[in-house]
Amino acid sequence: MIDSTSILAYASQLSVAPGDEIAFHIGSERVRETETSIVRVRCGDPDENGPGLKLIEMPSAIDGRTPIEPQPIHNGSYGTVEDTLVLPSLRSFTFGCYVYPTLIGSTIDQTVVSRWNGRDDAGWRLDIDTEGFAVLTVGHAGHLSQIRSPVPLLNREWIFLAVVVDQTSGAGLLEGSSLARDGGRDRRFSVSAVIPTSGGASPDTPLVFAARWSGFSAPQKLTSHHFNGKIDRPRLYQGTLEHAATLALVENLTPPATDPRLIAAWDFSQNIPSDEFVDLSANNLRGKVHELPARGSTGANWTGQIGSWTEAPSQYGAIHFHEDDLEDARWQQTCSMRIPENWRPGFYALRMRGEHDGRKIESFASFFVRPKRGRRTADVLVIAPTATYLAYANTHVRLDQSHFEVMADSLLIVSQDDVFLSAHREFGHSTYDTHLDGSGISYSSASRPILNMRPRANTFNYVNDTHLLDWLEENEFAYDVVTDEDMHRDGARLLRDYRVVITMSHPEYYSKEMFDALEAYQNHGGRHMYLGGNGFYWRIAFHPTKPGIIELRRGVTGLRSWEAEAGEGNLACTGEPSGLWRSNGRAPQRLVGVGFSAQVFDFSTFYRRLPDGLESDTAFVFEGVGADEPIGNFGLRLGGAAGLEIDRADHTLGSAPNIRILATADRTGAGGIPTPEELPVLYRGFTGEESSVARADMVLFSTAEGGAVFSVGSIAWCCALSHNQYENNVSQITRNVLRRFLSDAPL
Amino acid sequence: MIGTDPKTAHYPIDAERRDLIEEFRRSPKGPYSSELQKIVHRMRWSGEGGRFALMPVVPGKTWMLMLLPARRGDPIVPQPDQIFTSLEDAEWAVFKLRWKAITEHAIPEDLDTTP
Repeated sequence: MIDSTSILAYASQLSVAPGDEIAFHIGSERVRETETSIVRVRCGDPDENGPGLKLIEMPSAIDGRTPIEPQPIHNGSYGTVEDTLVLPSLRSFTFGCYVYPTLIGSTIDQTVVSRWNGRDDAGWRLDIDTEGFAVLTVGHAGHLSQIRSPVPLLNREWIFLAVVVDQTSGAGLLEGSSLARDGGRDRRFSVSAVIPTSGGASPDTPLVFAARWSGFSAPQKLTSHHFNGKIDRPRLYQGTLEHAATLALVENLTPPATDPRLIAAWDFSQNIPSDEFVDLSANNLRGKVHELPARGSTGANWTGQIGSWTEAPSQYGAIHFHEDDLEDARWQQTCSMRIPENWRPGFYALRMRGEHDGRKIESFASFFVRPKRGRRTADVLVIAPTATYLAYANTHVRLDQSHFEVMADSLLIVSQDDVFLSAHREFGHSTYDTHLDGSGISYSSASRPILNMRPRANTFNYVNDTHLLDWLEENEFAYDVVTDEDMHRDGARLLRDYRVVITMSHPEYYSKEMFDALEAYQNHGGRHMYLGGNGFYWRIAFHPTKPGIIELRRGVTGLRSWEAEAGEGNLACTGEPSGLWRSNGRAPQRLVGVGFSAQVFDFSTFYRRLPDGLESDTAFVFEGVGADEPIGNFGLRLGGAAGLEIDRADHTLGSAPNIRILATADRTGAGGIPTPEELPVLYRGFTGEESSVARADMVLFSTAEGGAVFSVGSIAWCCALSHNQYENNVSQITRNVLRRFLSDAPL
Repeated sequence: MIGTDPKTAHYPIDAERRDLIEEFRRSPKGPYSSELQKIVHRMRWSGEGGRFALMPVVPGKTWMLMLLPARRGDPIVPQPDQIFTSLEDAEWAVFKLRWKAITEHAIPEDLDTTP
């Protein structure tokens, strides 16, 4: 068995054009050298029952042996305030804020706020310990004074916490009061103790929210003891304040900046899409967040009367920090190269080979070569669904959630990549996973090795999509490739000169910009072949200023592995609503005629022709296919072309009035289970065994100016193309439609 | 918070139902009769007897049984003595383990063979 994890890497950017520079960040805990080369990916699926692995060697300047070394990844979001003037001189102060812990009972202490230097063990910090008690620590030269709350805090309950540190008198105070006091939630306390009158953190120690400063510098970890939970309206005041006065200061959204004793009043509700946060005091102690904590989070003052931070930012003055957040692995660059001018667009990968303990290592890091801007090289454009690849990047959901075996009604097939990722959570999660505190993961970044977006990966998304590339090459259809992010940033102009645009097996995640671009293309004479299922489903955004990062908030419907917290359905990076496109008034049916209806993970099935598919004007689709012939009663994914995730037409959801429903696969059996938004009420008999709600429809419709859309509504379609040496009716239909779409013949 | 709870699987399994064992043994990948389907759902949903998975050794040809952890983040444990050349054989092996774990009765000896 080939070792796919002992060497890992990522590219500096996913999308490059000929002439662009690309760098690779390679890391290994086990070997110190690797043989690097570049391959163009025709088929990334090693399964010998299909086309098999087909990788084309692309000689380049990067060929050869490259020294590599271990590269750590440091997780955990936090906020910092750098200051060498005001903060180090404070000997007597009061700090207060609202706190919403979300992981009481963690295995390590979690620091809510600190000005602490781990190298010197000096400064002050406010922690929540492993038993959930709040603890104020003041330390100097290894001597620690601690004040612990008499009662533990409660998970997912707001509490106001205040600390008073007076090093002039040696008095320390820790106070708390719960926001809700009913039903046993009351956690009011006030505890005092003697603290040291000398010492403090060194002047270059920042004030840190949601972690402690380690005192080390990169590439070592800068922080430790990360906090899981929200922090709202932190205030720092010179001198000692009574509990009520500190609470009043926190409750005041705009504390008087002219108060000379107000050291800082941080307002996380401003600049939500950015990494910056402001200080409302006259000191202007601005700060910065790191590793993408969830901003736009409801504060302790959220009323429930509004649903978005854009409507009332002042109620969204909280940041939700997580110890497992990750924006960027920040690996050192290992090597780089310029993309040769003669490389055609396509799926590419850095290949890294080596050997460890007698086992051969072969590992890949993906990237995509697009044409130079404005220089189309083919009539067909394939859109690489990188938003979907990012949404699923390094998913642990099949391992962490136990329903997948019963969903598939068979044993899970896991890979050595799964085994590796299960033990190496530092590589970050997918947007299907939840944080350690159970809250949903809303960001995914390409700046880390992504193990399920490369040749030999698990058979979903990337690997399935390469079956389509393989078929295009087998049939000698020339094609260009651009990524979702290219389409997001460049818009409709990127598509408009292509005669045909193809979306692949599972283009599930779409930003507004992507949706607009594709719709504009279709309405301007473009011809779109949607050869997948569960497409155009979730609304995401690419981060406006951070390439390679998507954000998603799952709503309260849809096939969702988590739900956004109440009031947090809007994206922090743009303010847009997220959730299903169907909930945003643009069901997939409006764009491509069909939209997600069901999962079928036990047995795939076949399509049968419907009357629309027997008309003379649709005959071109089925040329060479018998009228009664089952379509796709074969295929690499569960034995059929209609399966895994499937879509149906529905005029009430926007399927075009002129749509032709050519064929349907409606016998999906007991494993054909409708998606939640397809069930307005609960009733028996809704599975594919007894109902045709769970079905895949194959559709064709014309759009403005000679444009057209052909959709198959099934993820499994592309993995049936190679059956019987590519001679089969799935292949025939795809070829018929693509040839007709490429021709000048009207539709 | 929304989530799935395997502990909710509670369909009763009658250890005397040899006919269901025989049915599964004949057709480990299904489709199953209505009664067997419910039993298989309980086994696959609850993970009683172990949450198992398969890892390809040779893609599409041979697979190794793997034990998934009960707690998030714990290692996945390979079972190198459990290598299968068919997915049906793997399903049957896991069925036997779970049958015993749930009913506290091993599969009767005369049925404990691969057909």
